[in-house]
Amino acid sequence: MSDHNTPDLNPTPGERFTHFLKRKDVIETLGWAVFYTVGFVILGGKFYTKWMPTMMSTDMRAIERLMVIFTWISAPVCGFVLSMATYTFRHGHRGDTPPEEGPAIRTNRLGIALFGVTSSLLALVAILYGLIELNSSAEAATKDAPSAMVVEVTGSQWVWSFNYPAQGVTSNELMLPINKPVIFKIVSEDVNHSFWPVQLGVKADANRFQVTTVQTKPNKLGAFDVKCAELCGLYHAYMETNGAVVTTADFNNWVTAQGGHQA
Amino acid sequence: MTTLDNRVSARPIPNPQKSLITKLNAGTGLIVGIIFALGTYFALNNNSSDSATVNFQHYNRTLLASMFMWSIGFLVGIGAFIGPWRWLIGKDLTAEEQLYMAGDGQGIKRYFKYCTDHKVVGIQYLWGVIAMLAVGGTMAMMIRTNLAMPGGHFITASVYNSLVGLHGITMIIAMIIVATGPFGNFIMPIMIGAADMAFPRLNALSWWVLFTAIPVLCSAWFLGGIPTGWTAYAPLSIQAGPGMNAFLATIIIFAFSTAVAGANITATVVAMRAKGMSWNRVPIFVIGATISVALAVPAFPTFMLAMIQTALDRTFMTTFFDANFGGSGWLYAHLFWIMGHPEVYVILIPGVAILMEIVPVFVRKPLFSYTSAIIGFAGIAGLSVLVWAHHMYMSGWMPMLNGPFMVTTEMISIPTGLIFLVILGTLWNGKPWLKMPMLCVYAFLWNMLVGGITGLYLSDVPADNYLHGSMYVTAHFHYTLMGSALTGAVAGLVYWFPKMTGRMFNERSSYVAFWFIQLGFQVLYLGMFTAGAEGQPRRVVDYADNFHVSNMVSTAGAYGVGIGFIVLLWGVVHSWRHGKIAPMNPWGAKSLEWTVPYPVPLVNFDTPPVVTSDPYGYGKAVK
Repeated sequence: MSDHNTPDLNPTPGERFTHFLKRKDVIETLGWAVFYTVGFVILGGKFYTKWMPTMMSTDMRAIERLMVIFTWISAPVCGFVLSMATYTFRHGHRGDTPPEEGPAIRTNRLGIALFGVTSSLLALVAILYGLIELNSSAEAATKDAPSAMVVEVTGSQWVWSFNYPAQGVTSNELMLPINKPVIFKIVSEDVNHSFWPVQLGVKADANRFQVTTVQTKPNKLGAFDVKCAELCGLYHAYMETNGAVVTTADFNNWVTAQGGHQA
Repeated sequence: MTTLDNRVSARPIPNPQKSLITKLNAGTGLIVGIIFALGTYFALNNNSSDSATVNFQHYNRTLLASMFMWSIGFLVGIGAFIGPWRWLIGKDLTAEEQLYMAGDGQGIKRYFKYCTDHKVVGIQYLWGVIAMLAVGGTMAMMIRTNLAMPGGHFITASVYNSLVGLHGITMIIAMIIVATGPFGNFIMPIMIGAADMAFPRLNALSWWVLFTAIPVLCSAWFLGGIPTGWTAYAPLSIQAGPGMNAFLATIIIFAFSTAVAGANITATVVAMRAKGMSWNRVPIFVIGATISVALAVPAFPTFMLAMIQTALDRTFMTTFFDANFGGSGWLYAHLFWIMGHPEVYVILIPGVAILMEIVPVFVRKPLFSYTSAIIGFAGIAGLSVLVWAHHMYMSGWMPMLNGPFMVTTEMISIPTGLIFLVILGTLWNGKPWLKMPMLCVYAFLWNMLVGGITGLYLSDVPADNYLHGSMYVTAHFHYTLMGSALTGAVAGLVYWFPKMTGRMFNERSSYVAFWFIQLGFQVLYLGMFTAGAEGQPRRVVDYADNFHVSNMVSTAGAYGVGIGFIVLLWGVVHSWRHGKIAPMNPWGAKSLEWTVPYPVPLVNFDTPPVVTSDPYGYGKAVK
């Protein structure tokens, strides 16, 4: 690098900065940084929205939004790392003899300070965003709780069963009325399972004798999958069942057909 | 070099007056071990009770006792206790016997003996690791082959679950020792200018104890497998068949081995550094290896304890983890993850430290901000003991604490950032010599970036609601452990191969292996990330049709990785036998291990070195 041949022996910080920005390697690296950052912002917006299943609750919508935003927060980090990697790789040395000696730079206080502050701020943003999201979903759950329907979920090797105490119905399929908050009270009859209604974006383990509670509000009609997300023995892979979000009228009909009563 | 060769081999084999030591080797160990094991088995195995539970518990007792007796018998048979026995009767090994135990001038035979030379132990570890990675890798290929198509007809659910558990634990054990075993033993003492490890006999003990764990783990195959995954959550582990005993015994034996090795490495680095090697002149690999084993010292005992308690639940009707009788599965999960999360950094840190050792050599620049590297490692190690419950967000244990654990977990991204900064800062302004070890540095930057960012989603409680227990998690930790730590260890193998074998690693095979492994790896785990995002749980033998494409892609990538590792193994064997004879310092590096010839003399240095600077004095002065 020929960046040290300036005759001015005492440049001001501003002059040094403009000089730094005029270096060829800096310009190319910045170009790569912009390329990667923009690339990750675009791809990050697409990947999860494309591959994650239908969003059938506000929780699932929040999760997908969070994945996209976290990708965006990470995009500048990707830009920084990958641009420097790409530049040095492109200008690498090939052959059987070692390259010439580089500049003996052992540290750069300003660089380290800037990096430390920036990475801490990005981590802080991620932490705050997560905490706020956690809090708002807890608040929504508290607000919805009084009007919620309770479903008792029991996991056993290797079936799920659902009991609707207010309706007096027990079923192996999970039927939920739309826009009605639902509280799942989950327990296991044997080993650990994990109750995962995939498209609803909630999950909780089923433990022996310890009831775990999780709450959500389905807001889209359609079928969803109920799976087990904790290795529970031989047929763990097959411990899944169907669920559906239906209209209130359909739900009431279903309850009646199952021999239950309206809550 | 030739003169020195002659001098070493011309030295007469010490003859310790036909001491018992000269007659013992791995063969006698095997015989005594098998006698001990079979003797214990037949002495105890009498299922006389009418109760199936009592019989099952007794059978577990019998198996566990046989496994431990095998381990003890092997160590007796190989002569591990001769020294301690002498101490007990107020004597010690004679000087000749000690020299004999160091394996001086015994050629290839010393690799099958209780040899105290750290270089021999390093090579033993290297082949142990290679064997374990080969077995674990084969199991991974079987898993991926089964998952190529929905239906899972290639293997049964029972075999599949066993494969998942055995692949997991085999790889975890291999990865814990992959850097600190071969390089920590062979290279590190030379790097710090020591004649040997602080406790050479303990060093031999740590390897041979680990060795006895391997047949125990393999016995799981014949006892019905490990159906619990490597996490072995209770109460599934209490319900599991006799194969579970093999898992428990393996962990207990392994934990003993790492405790011994950890104490030894720490003591060596603290007490045996060359004159002048103050803490700010210690090579960064040594710092990384020390922080890693120091982190293992508090972490692994809880694992061992959890296994002992599980074993007691299975053998003596205690109920630590069995909720049916007042125990708690959460207690197990805590003990397990209090080990489990520091453990991933025990794996990661030495691998990264190897890469940090490599970058300055190949860029011809000093390591950028040595202090940041240490703060980074220490910060990761410190925080890693405060994050374990992020594995339990969904367990229902204490949702109130999910927030705090999320904060500590995401804070790890700050010291991890420093690791990136050190490597990037060293690269910047330099012209990296793009040999295979340097390519591994680039692979690490990408893989750790992906592993780190996906870790950010997983550490976030709302996102983990969706991702926990899915294939996404599997892909994430393979990026960090395999993509980063194993890449570092492979780089170290090629980098230090000349010093360990006297020959250069075959270049063409190193490049072919590198590109197959790394490109296959990206395809493999892109497919797996997608499957996880689509909602496929992990550890499933079969899956719904909608996950077919992503699994197919993943399996195709896995075959690429498999081919790459076969080429790499071929490269190791071929270069070891026919490789180009290496000069003393083929990379032009400045650390002490490159100042000794091959074969490295028994006490490493003819005259103890005196260190006057850190090993990163590369580059020309900046005006």
